[in-house]
Amino acid sequence: MSDAGSAAGSGSVEGTPRIAAKAVGKRFGDLQVFKDINMTIGEREIVTVVGPSGCGKTTLLRCVNGLLPVSEGEIQIEGTPVTRPRQGVAMVFQNFGLFPWKTVLSNVSYGLKLDGCPKEDLRDRSMEKIKLVGLEGFENSYPYQLSGGMQQRCGLARALAVEPSVLLMDEPFAAIDAQTREILQFELLRIWEMRPTSMMFVTHSIEEAVLMGHRVVVLKGRPSSVFETVEVDLPEPRGRETLSHPQFNELREHVWANLMDEVRAAEFEVN
Amino acid sequence: MIDMNKKWARFATYAVGLLIGAGMWQYFGARGNQLASASLTETFSRFIRLIENGELPTAVANSMQLYVAGFSAAIIAASALGLLMSRIRFLRVGIENYVMLLYATPMVAVVPFISSLLGPFFMAKFVVVFLFGFFPVLYNTLEGGRSLRPELVEVATSFRSGEMALWRDLLIPYTLPFILTGVRQGAGRALVGVVASEFLVSSSGMGGMIRYYDGNYIIEGVFATVIVLTAIGVLLMWLGRLLEDRFAAWRGLNR
Ligand SMILES: Nc1ncnc2c1ncn2[C@@H]1O[C@H](COP(=O)(O)OP(=O)(O)O)[C@@H](O)[C@H]1O
Ligand SMILES: [Mg+2]
Repeated sequence: MSDAGSAAGSGSVEGTPRIAAKAVGKRFGDLQVFKDINMTIGEREIVTVVGPSGCGKTTLLRCVNGLLPVSEGEIQIEGTPVTRPRQGVAMVFQNFGLFPWKTVLSNVSYGLKLDGCPKEDLRDRSMEKIKLVGLEGFENSYPYQLSGGMQQRCGLARALAVEPSVLLMDEPFAAIDAQTREILQFELLRIWEMRPTSMMFVTHSIEEAVLMGHRVVVLKGRPSSVFETVEVDLPEPRGRETLSHPQFNELREHVWANLMDEVRAAEFEVN
Repeated sequence: MIDMNKKWARFATYAVGLLIGAGMWQYFGARGNQLASASLTETFSRFIRLIENGELPTAVANSMQLYVAGFSAAIIAASALGLLMSRIRFLRVGIENYVMLLYATPMVAVVPFISSLLGPFFMAKFVVVFLFGFFPVLYNTLEGGRSLRPELVEVATSFRSGEMALWRDLLIPYTLPFILTGVRQGAGRALVGVVASEFLVSSSGMGGMIRYYDGNYIIEGVFATVIVLTAIGVLLMWLGRLLEDRFAAWRGLNR
């Protein structure tokens, strides 16, 4: 299974990877969250990372973003080790991370402003992304006036506004109702098709991981590490019809079977 | 039942309430001990006289000067210290307990001490008003600043914000409504500070007037001054609310 799609023109074989994790481990004091993580993400590639809650997905993304130092190994972006957040890397957060005192427009232009975008371009460039995510007409609304789905559209526009070459997505749709989540998944795919980047997409939903990813990295164990990397050789562009593709079900069942015991264990822990 | 949603019904209720209050004041004021009470009409005519001879306007200007000087200094110092404390851990850990302690201390208790330390001068009164207004603002700023969600600070870091930009984009706009809550609380206290210092440090302004008329058993003079103080207090509270609402629209509390 894991080599099924390696010849299918996914970014992993084109040029040098834009993101590379080499034997990465992270500890918080005595707690080893993950260890020996190896993965690469190509220039035009979506890699999804799936694993149960608490397995360290957010922590891994924070390390890739340069918000946290790794304990072992190294993370490289474009060949240089990550030590702090850098330009061209943008994150979309699980709980949106919007500034409640700012309107949609000023939330979206936040990163641009910090990047030193000239004032006269700020509005146009922000509005372009607001339109792209379908929030036109809401640019003067405050986050509390928007539904969860619309708030995350805003979070996405804020990340896209800085024209990142690396997009880090931390369970972006986990806090959104199922129907809206589906819509947003397809919109994100549509937006990515228009302007492909290196996307690292973290989720605990197996279905979402298979739908979005060109490759699915499965995290498992305590401390967690990469259990397997599944190449997803589904027709592109992905869309609603992907969900009814026979291979989609096959891949989903495969990942599910591998994660099941771990998910069960996590469930018992919660109860 | 009267439908309180109708505008005129509400207005009429207010008017009746006021009339009953005024009537009681007039009745009991005119019959009470002349050394300890004054009726509505007596108070009103004294009020007019005090305005005409310029005594009350001068006193109000005097008190307000003290108020504005002391309280604005308190607002600036307290919000700056509060913001610093919310970002710098050792500062917070070091001072926090004292802030709580002094926030809970009735400041009137320290007025004689300040008075004997600094003498019967403007400086002493300024310090008193400053202290009355300082702790509510500091306390609320600190509570606000530290409740800024760490996730949002992480967002800022992720977008490569420096500390200065963090203050400009996150800390100050987020904490502003809390600061204004502190200002609203402190506004009343600082007014108490003005009167207390005019009583206890050296006689001046409206506090001085109250002291003088009370000492000379001219109760309608006391009442006329107190009413002006009350009006100023109410006005300040209203102004504080207005400010708070204006800068806290994003909380979505008033919709
Ligand atoms: N700053 C931190 N300090 C200590 N422990 C942490 C910290 N951040 C995360 N953890 C722990 O690391 C583990 C993984 O957390 P997280 O990365 O949020 O998992 P996930 O995103 O997969 O749900 C959890 O057990 C969590 O309690
Ligand atoms: Mg997480």
